[in-house]
Amino acid sequence: MADDRQQRLQALIDFLRTIQKPGKAIESVGLDESLVTSGLIDSLAIIEIVMFLEKNYGIDFAASGLDPDRLATINGILGVIEEARP
Amino acid sequence: MQIKQFTQFHESPAVIAWWCTWLGWALRQLTPFRRRAFLALAALWVCFKSTLRIVKSNNLPGPADGIVAALLVALALLAIAWLLYRAAAGFSSLPLWVRKHPQLTLHSMYWGFLVVLWSTAPGSGLWRQVLAGVALIFPLLVWRFAYVLLAGQYGRMAGTRFSDHLLTLWPIYGGTNTPYGSGIGYLSRSEAKTEEELARSQLAGIKLLILCALWMVVTDIMEGVLYGPGNELTQKLGGYTLAVPKLARMLEKEGADSRLWISWASIYCELFHQVLRHAIHGHGVIAILRLFGFNVFRNTYKPLLAESIVEFWNRYYYYFKEILANFFFLPTFTQLGKKLRNWPTLRLWAAVFAAAFVGNTYYHLINLERMMVDGQVLEAIYLHRSRMFYCFLLAFGIFVSMLRQQRRGGRALASGWASRILRMAGVWTFFSLLFIWNVRSGASFTARTNFFFSLFGFA
Repeated sequence: MADDRQQRLQALIDFLRTIQKPGKAIESVGLDESLVTSGLIDSLAIIEIVMFLEKNYGIDFAASGLDPDRLATINGILGVIEEARP
Repeated sequence: MQIKQFTQFHESPAVIAWWCTWLGWALRQLTPFRRRAFLALAALWVCFKSTLRIVKSNNLPGPADGIVAALLVALALLAIAWLLYRAAAGFSSLPLWVRKHPQLTLHSMYWGFLVVLWSTAPGSGLWRQVLAGVALIFPLLVWRFAYVLLAGQYGRMAGTRFSDHLLTLWPIYGGTNTPYGSGIGYLSRSEAKTEEELARSQLAGIKLLILCALWMVVTDIMEGVLYGPGNELTQKLGGYTLAVPKLARMLEKEGADSRLWISWASIYCELFHQVLRHAIHGHGVIAILRLFGFNVFRNTYKPLLAESIVEFWNRYYYYFKEILANFFFLPTFTQLGKKLRNWPTLRLWAAVFAAAFVGNTYYHLINLERMMVDGQVLEAIYLHRSRMFYCFLLAFGIFVSMLRQQRRGGRALASGWASRILRMAGVWTFFSLLFIWNVRSGASFTARTNFFFSLFGFA
């Protein structure tokens, strides 16, 4: 269980590295810290995160609704993935 | 470093400690509960006062006189607010269609009111007079009601009372039809819980008030020096003026009798003027929120330093952008997830146009409250043709800007000052030209378009 979470966390961090603003270390952002206000990503990156979650975890936001605040932190995103697991 | 310390005085631990000591007793008394209670009581006063003003100025036909009619309309609006609060609190028990489309349900309610008004005679009685008042004021409240429903949809109603939502519905801190500070959910996340947080928030509010005063002086100087014929302040500074005509006047004359550089100067001046105007108003509203302990984002944050269209749009009118993002962009983007999964560009295009074109147009259309109540919807659309064109161009610009940003991935832009200035100038030019179709003026769509072409020598 803990390994699964660790894998998902690593996959998420790898993905965030591809969309993050240059010059900011992702390691410096806490798991409950806002990704936008910390300066790691801009607010539009939420659509990239949505597409990442749809593609990799089959999450259908049309059915579940999209609360942008839940995608604001790393722990929030992991929570959304956790809830969507069968 | 010293300049930064000076401008960021509200973050200085020494200043915060001084503020806590100086206002220690008052800060202890101003608990979050008391601050909210004050704002909620003030909301009731604002509700009646603003309703009375609108009802009186619109002279609604019916048997009740101004004060009685306003009281009844205010009570009806409070009842609607209460029902929506209950609906949001019990969101999971609402009918499926409502749960799936809460915002559509809310707007259907408004259009339902309008249909009833259109299909009944003006002298039908007291109920119609009250309904007309409700429909007149609904566009002011609809986006605030929308945030109440959104809180229910996202399961964030727990622990919130009706009075908490009330303070956002008729805010004493001001705003427009756009709710500055969004709903209570967003305000709560930024709310000061301790005396130190309150001190920090209040100091941030004072900083905004200082900025607000500074921008007012800059606007006065700008209006005197650029627009002329000068004012009291600029006369003290030597009385020099460039006498650039305001864009609205230029448009009415289609740029005739003006040299090309004056026309270009006028469109850039309009951009700076609009940014200053927005900053002054927004800073005032957000400053009051911060003084009450809600340390929320500014409405306008250095838009002239934006290096892309989408960044400017995010910084220029933040809470309006939030409305478009929350109620148009994100729902469209997620709803099209399955259908357009293999066409991400088309999906993005649809979501951007749903927000910046459809949502933006709709927002401004229902702001013509009296025309809506009188059933002049087509006339209102025709009246808005220039703004609709503006919204279309804005959507196109944002789409291209987002696409470019998406395709760039995480790669950095050239960081030299010349490159940055070039990008900022491009953004200024885009929005300056765009404002030709957005600025309030009696000029027709054709006159505005002719003026646009005249800027490039096609008079």
